[in-house]
Amino acid sequence: MFARAGLTGALLLSVSTAPLMAGKADDTFTWTTANEIGSADIYFANLRETLIVTYAMCDSLIYRDPLTDAYEPLLATSWEWTDATTMDVTLREGVTFHDGTAFGPEDVAYTLNFVADPANESQTQQLTGWIDTVEVTGPNSVRIHAKSPTPAALEYMTGTMPIFPEGHYDNAPEVPGADGTQRRDNGAVTPVCTGPYEMTTFEPGEGLTLEKNEGYFADSPKGTPQIGTIIFRTIKDPETQIAELVTGGVDWIWGVPTENVDMLAAMDGVEVVAAPTLRMSFLELDAAGRSGEDAPTTDVRVRQAIAHAIDREAIVENLVGDGSRVLPSICAPAQFGCETDVKQYDYDPEKARALLAEAGYEDGLSLPFWSYRDRQYAEAILNYLREVGITADLNFVQWGALRPALAGGEVELGNLTWGSNGVLDVSASTSYYFDGGEMDYARDADVTRWLEETNVETDPEARKALYSRALNRIADEAYKVPLFLYARTYGFNDAFDYPITDDELAHFYLGSWK
Amino acid sequence: MAFYILKRLGVMLAVLTVTSILAFLLLHLSGDPAATMAGDGASPEDVRVIRDAYGFDRPLPVQYLDWVGGLFQGDFGRSYYLRTDVAELLPERLAVTATLGVAALAFALVLSITLGVAAALRPNTIIDRFALWLAVAGQAMPSFLVAIGLMYVFGVWLRVLPISGGDTWQHFILPVVALGYYATPSIMRLTRSGMMEALQSDHVRTARAYGLSPWRVVIRHALRHAIAPIVSIAAVEMGFMLGGSIIVESVFSLKGIGYLAWESIQRADIQVIQAILLVIAAAYAVLTLAADLLNAALDPRIRVS
Repeated sequence: MFARAGLTGALLLSVSTAPLMAGKADDTFTWTTANEIGSADIYFANLRETLIVTYAMCDSLIYRDPLTDAYEPLLATSWEWTDATTMDVTLREGVTFHDGTAFGPEDVAYTLNFVADPANESQTQQLTGWIDTVEVTGPNSVRIHAKSPTPAALEYMTGTMPIFPEGHYDNAPEVPGADGTQRRDNGAVTPVCTGPYEMTTFEPGEGLTLEKNEGYFADSPKGTPQIGTIIFRTIKDPETQIAELVTGGVDWIWGVPTENVDMLAAMDGVEVVAAPTLRMSFLELDAAGRSGEDAPTTDVRVRQAIAHAIDREAIVENLVGDGSRVLPSICAPAQFGCETDVKQYDYDPEKARALLAEAGYEDGLSLPFWSYRDRQYAEAILNYLREVGITADLNFVQWGALRPALAGGEVELGNLTWGSNGVLDVSASTSYYFDGGEMDYARDADVTRWLEETNVETDPEARKALYSRALNRIADEAYKVPLFLYARTYGFNDAFDYPITDDELAHFYLGSWK
Repeated sequence: MAFYILKRLGVMLAVLTVTSILAFLLLHLSGDPAATMAGDGASPEDVRVIRDAYGFDRPLPVQYLDWVGGLFQGDFGRSYYLRTDVAELLPERLAVTATLGVAALAFALVLSITLGVAAALRPNTIIDRFALWLAVAGQAMPSFLVAIGLMYVFGVWLRVLPISGGDTWQHFILPVVALGYYATPSIMRLTRSGMMEALQSDHVRTARAYGLSPWRVVIRHALRHAIAPIVSIAAVEMGFMLGGSIIVESVFSLKGIGYLAWESIQRADIQVIQAILLVIAAAYAVLTLAADLLNAALDPRIRVS
């Protein structure tokens, strides 16, 4: 790895010619990541790249301005909760889908009823499962019935919930199901939307092309698209991505390796920016004794000792790099309800040792340690734990192996991460781990109850108060050890102008050439 | 000869059966495929939907027999991730890898046989030393390093060849050299030693004594004698290139079968991985069989033994 990085740096620094500006010259913007897009339908593809494409080609009912986080009308012009579970929505008129058909309330009812039904196998149940039914109430209005009060509904209804034409999934290919019968593969249908860009080619695993929608409605909060063509290509190798960027083959990459940042930033024609994301890294601790009643982590002093043992500042500064931040609480600070004024555990190895001794582990203790992502961070944590007398054996496994272990209550100590699916509400982060279910290692009935109340409380201030109470308890008891927020380092053609936002979504439809 | 072929076919079938069982078991015992498919941002409900849809909660023997039963009907399953039938997906990816592999093998054979023959004809000269140096360098350098070096010299510095993708034949030049170079040392060494042995053999001495031209002696008599082990190792190298082109395909972003295998493993696209493993095992088996048959045709002693 070091050899590769060194070679990359040495050779790129020796490039004297400025990168080609082919992108601006032919009004074609090309971006690349290491992921292949298998489905362009966000309801059936749990992938950030798909979400980025969805924002560019599709509209949802409501738009969250990525710069101000304010909710603005998009396909809905207004919305109102008429009671705790009923929302009346008025729709925009004069909008057409990319295939020329007119947008109307039947399309909204069809799309949302379809994806909310688990039988249709949408893989975003977390975002759509709150919807009971949607009914057409007029020529330009619908009524959404929620299963229960859903304060985060507006957040769910933004870019992660695009609207397709009525009957969109009718021609989904039939494939053999698990029980031998035929089932429909709804994720194989190419999306048809109303957004600022239209998909003109899509080759699963290869890439896709978006062309500017000349007929996009004028007063959209997404603005009028500027770039003519947007192309997505998969390039797996980071060095190849960098080489393509500096030679003008692509205009945008992300996840620039830390060791290449300075070198890339020094090059003409390339801009490098690091920004935080919503993905948090934290330690999971078995406070409930699910892995065994005598698990050391059931003692709050052991959990607090672990929190004091780790120098989070040093990890952020030396390992994770620019754009990342120490995480003060077990939620992303940008999320609604994320209380960050909670008990902090400063790096204090002496205190950690004292707490361990107090808990009866003056000679140290041994714990199995699970991790699945970014081994170098896990190893740094192991070293810090070793310094205070905690020997942790690293089980570094794939997510497919760790998840069943987590669900089965086998994990005493683990380094987990969570990205909240881009949702700016604590219900997408904290609640997931304290709901009393298979992922809950605290099993604190009070915390579970308070968080459940936030899910049905519609008064924002009351919700914040409940979140604050829950997050304070979580911090006091050190149920989890929040570590840091991940960062993304973007490298792009400096002739391209667009806002880099904290939601880790590249809003290319807002882009233009300088 | 017929018995020999039948025996080899029987071994091939046994290898494929064992491979299919191993591939199936390894993939299903390495973690919860539904959890991997759903990703680490998925809710328990999302994971359950996938598990139900793909029947991962059924007993393993049932799942295996279901898969094998489909294979006999030409149904390789459907890619969960790419939303296409595996039977449709594989040919286009195989074509890319086969093009890359055949061209890389041709490049390796031309380079290594030329150098090997030259080194054998002029032992301990500068040609011999150059060939040995090239072999050592080829063995010492991992293919990704060769790939990146080529990329930066010809793509970034000189800007004469494309860096990534597979749209034109020019896109294949750098991957072919990177992959082929990796196979060169073993073939070159074998050619050199085989030729040196052949050049000192009785029949070559006899051919020389008959007054045949030096080139005819080298090509017709010595090289033919030395070629049998090269055919065998070339078949193995070709199999290796089919299965082991992952790194080169990844670096140059060539959408071949190696690249697909790598991506599919990461996202637990089980139907695709199983099919690829089977296809690669079959390719290995067929290539080995072809090499054995070719050798048997070239050397009757093999048939008898």
